[in-house]
Amino acid sequence: MSLPTRTGDDQPASGPEDRHQFETAAKGGAGFWLSAAAGWAIIAVGLRGILQNSIDTRPGNLARFVVGGALLHDLVVAPLVIVAAVVVGRAVPGRARAVVQGALVVSAVVALFSYPLVRAYGLAANNPTSLPHDYATNLLVVLGVVWATAAALVVVRLRRSPR
Amino acid sequence: MAAGIASVPVLIAKLWLVWPRFVAFPPVKGVSHLVERVGLFPLVAGGVFMTFSGVANIAQWYPWRFSFTASHFWMAWVTMGAIVAHVGAKWAFARRSLARPSRRPALAEADPVLGTVAEPEANNGLSRRGFLGTVAAASGMLTVTTVGQTFPPLRSLAVLAPRDPGVGPQGYPVNRGAANAGVLDLSRSPAYRLVVEGRVATPLALELDQLLALPTSVARLPISCVEGWSYSASWRGVAVRDLLAVAGAEPDRTVLLESLEPQGRTERRPSTPARPPTATPCWPPTSTASPSTSSTGSRAGSSPPTAPAFCRPSGWPR
Repeated sequence: MSLPTRTGDDQPASGPEDRHQFETAAKGGAGFWLSAAAGWAIIAVGLRGILQNSIDTRPGNLARFVVGGALLHDLVVAPLVIVAAVVVGRAVPGRARAVVQGALVVSAVVALFSYPLVRAYGLAANNPTSLPHDYATNLLVVLGVVWATAAALVVVRLRRSPR
Repeated sequence: MAAGIASVPVLIAKLWLVWPRFVAFPPVKGVSHLVERVGLFPLVAGGVFMTFSGVANIAQWYPWRFSFTASHFWMAWVTMGAIVAHVGAKWAFARRSLARPSRRPALAEADPVLGTVAEPEANNGLSRRGFLGTVAAASGMLTVTTVGQTFPPLRSLAVLAPRDPGVGPQGYPVNRGAANAGVLDLSRSPAYRLVVEGRVATPLALELDQLLALPTSVARLPISCVEGWSYSASWRGVAVRDLLAVAGAEPDRTVLLESLEPQGRTERRPSTPARPPTATPCWPPTSTASPSTSSTGSRAGSSPPTAPAFCRPSGWPR
């Protein structure tokens, strides 16, 4: 996760004509409108299915999760990750930074995936099939492997380019 | 499933990369841009929903009131439609960006919002290549720690898998055991009957002892659950086909299997004429478990063989 550095002004400038050509190629052509029509037709099939099967899909409850998920990501998760990225960018020395960022990404994804397992939300009583492992311990072990690998990578990088 | 789990980091990475566009200014530049941006909502919301609900489902976590399978299915249409519209909107952009370097615009030039984010200064953290490598590493880590629930050679590594193919009431996983399904009392009741009725010459109503006295057969059947775990096992029991023969039914007719379970979607299961059921009421050949401690079918609709006590194929054929 790299810092969103705004260095647009430093990029070699090309003519405004080039950019204009590029944007008109990308926007508003026949292909754009054809695929938009096809895509929205398919979306309509899905929406109709949701409404026609409202006993199963519970549109109101479903909408809460669909809209809520997008808002949670865009307004909470992404800004939090940006804050974390800024902190890592300032706190971690340059040569270790990329490795630490990578290890953080892998750790966060694994932790996110394991969260319902660690919390045992789906645990069924009287069934040994259900969540057979000790997920909290296992998550710590996996994270340990991730950070041991990261530490090894940092050591390798420091040895390769001692400064 | 495995592909779904592996796609989690890919989706997160994609959302991270394009997030600056979410706050880009001006928000709308013309009609086609408006149409494109409106289409981003089903794209992002659909992608987040599909992965979140899928991950929750394999963890058997249902924090919602809707049916997972129906909602996941119809939301997949919404998401796929949004992908079609999005690919069309980005087609020219992607073609130019993947062109030979000489004909390719600098990323910062082609996309002032994203280009500057994707081309960080040296030593400023992950490079683009490093970022892609990290996403691959995250997908690989999730896959390695879960795929053993369906790929036995990696079973010992599947420390974050919600299932273990070797752990269950009879040494095999099952989503709902007999106790959870609430069929223990029903199956032990003296009133228990396995009924074969419908268009048969001799309708049957077998008591448990009568059923267990019938000749048994062994079948090796795979169980593949939508939640991404699977295994094959040998099961022994009275084949439905044999039961139907005893009842004098015509071959290749549709069968309706009704579970003993008082409620639930797996109660009725029509069998296509092309593939008549071979061995439904059965239990593992090595198991000493009595039928009443056996298991009922998985809630995902895959069909683990059920113990005789729980199988009441009624109304065959209609």
